[in-house]
Amino acid sequence: MKRSVFGLVAIAGALLIAPILISAPKIGEPAPDFSATASNGKPYRLSEYRGKFVVLEWHNNGCPYTRKHYDSGNMQRLQKEWTAKGVVWFTVISSAPGTQGYVTADQENAYLSKMGATPTAALLDPNGEVGHLYDAKTTPHMIIINPQGAVIYDGAIDDHPTSDASDIPASKNFVSMALGDAMSGRPVSVATSRPYGCSVKYAGASH
Amino acid sequence: MRAVLTQGDDPPSYEIMSFERQSRLSGLIPAMIRDLPLKTLNSTTQFFCMFFAAAIFTGLIAGAIAVPARAAAIQHGTLDLVSENTWISPGQSFTIGLHFKLEKGWHIYWKNPGDSGEPPRVTWQLPEGITAGEIEWPAPHAMIASTIMNYVYDGEVLLIVPMQAAQSVPVTPGAAKLDASVRLLICSDKMCVPSKAQLSLSLPVKAQVSSREQSAASLFSAGRAHLPKPAPAAWQFTWTDKRDSLVLRARTNQKVSPSYFFPLEESQIDFSAKQEIAPVTGGFQVTLRKSNQLTKPVARLRGVLVLADGQAYLLDVPAGASTSGRAGS
Repeated sequence: MKRSVFGLVAIAGALLIAPILISAPKIGEPAPDFSATASNGKPYRLSEYRGKFVVLEWHNNGCPYTRKHYDSGNMQRLQKEWTAKGVVWFTVISSAPGTQGYVTADQENAYLSKMGATPTAALLDPNGEVGHLYDAKTTPHMIIINPQGAVIYDGAIDDHPTSDASDIPASKNFVSMALGDAMSGRPVSVATSRPYGCSVKYAGASH
Repeated sequence: MRAVLTQGDDPPSYEIMSFERQSRLSGLIPAMIRDLPLKTLNSTTQFFCMFFAAAIFTGLIAGAIAVPARAAAIQHGTLDLVSENTWISPGQSFTIGLHFKLEKGWHIYWKNPGDSGEPPRVTWQLPEGITAGEIEWPAPHAMIASTIMNYVYDGEVLLIVPMQAAQSVPVTPGAAKLDASVRLLICSDKMCVPSKAQLSLSLPVKAQVSSREQSAASLFSAGRAHLPKPAPAAWQFTWTDKRDSLVLRARTNQKVSPSYFFPLEESQIDFSAKQEIAPVTGGFQVTLRKSNQLTKPVARLRGVLVLADGQAYLLDVPAGASTSGRAGS
């Protein structure tokens, strides 16, 4: 009994410390590899997509900032446009069970179909492993990885940090800018920005 | 002088499944009376119905007096527009406060929200000649959830807004109506919801210089106590740019225990990184890790330094200079 309690404390301690020790990749650094199961039931491993651009989109379907980009159709348009150009698009859901945005595979599949969202896959990350690996802060938080496996963009979806969909037409979309630059062989003009939105609802965030 | 009419919060496009809680007491009651199917009832029943509805209405109002009586319901809290002054005087400044009361476990954001979130935003509609200044932000709390650092307010907070009435504002027997539409994000550790409120406050305009509204005096004095002040003139601040960090040094020549530096700029300091606080000869230093998003050389370090005793000082320290931390000094 005593030992198991100690074990639990040690595990809890390790969980608390682990995210702090991991340092998120900076621009130009290799994107850390991960594997995760998607809502479609299939496993996905990042390193299998070497040779392609990969977009990571942190997602919480109840967050007003996520809803800004989904209710308006903005995110779906981006997914459609860039996956048609060969980009691999992973929607990543790091909300812990019991928090806003947490979904089962079935719920996510129903959501994707209802919203007309077509990412390559929606990765279920309820323990926040992928989120912590990239130090994802907000929903949405966007990361772009180039075909060589390096991070080339890390930050906000655009330059209007609000939850108001009427701001979208006047916004500079940093994801499209970065992908456009990189695919044309130009340096990425805006490689980082402050991501905006709701905090990612990680497990163990209660205080 | 409190808000006369307030409209409940209603984020129409964001019905967030079961997460949202309807707390629209003020908006609910008139709608309840209006929507009674009176036409289908005979006059006696109608009378009782009206009587009953009125009784419920009165009872609820009476019962709500302990809570801010005329405050607007926002998601998970209330918001009230309060005047510090008894009336508006042409040519004089006056002060309005946005008084938030939040349910336990919910928070709103400072001017710099930190890693996520958004501060409340106010759009004023004011009579000709009356202008609103910038919100004076009290020192926030640092709240870390997992790896995400936020600068927040919880419980009760007063955002003070300095107002100015031009000499041309006409003295009227009626009142000047100040309208504010407020949009905000309110979050718990499990979810975030948007909220908005329409607030209105009517104040008389008189030629005499206004005095302080008695009933609001303690609210405003408590609110002002939380505002960061300029640092003592004798204290000298500098900072140096190290490879991965900015080191803020203070020469105070007295024992001072800092607890946290709240940076005002985005994408300059890594908010979630631990701040290393150490005593140095004649003062202290705070080591702040640079943000990964920092792409330009830092020209000035602005923020609020909070001490262990709760005192908060507004700092604005340009590169290379040794200053008292006051802009332009």
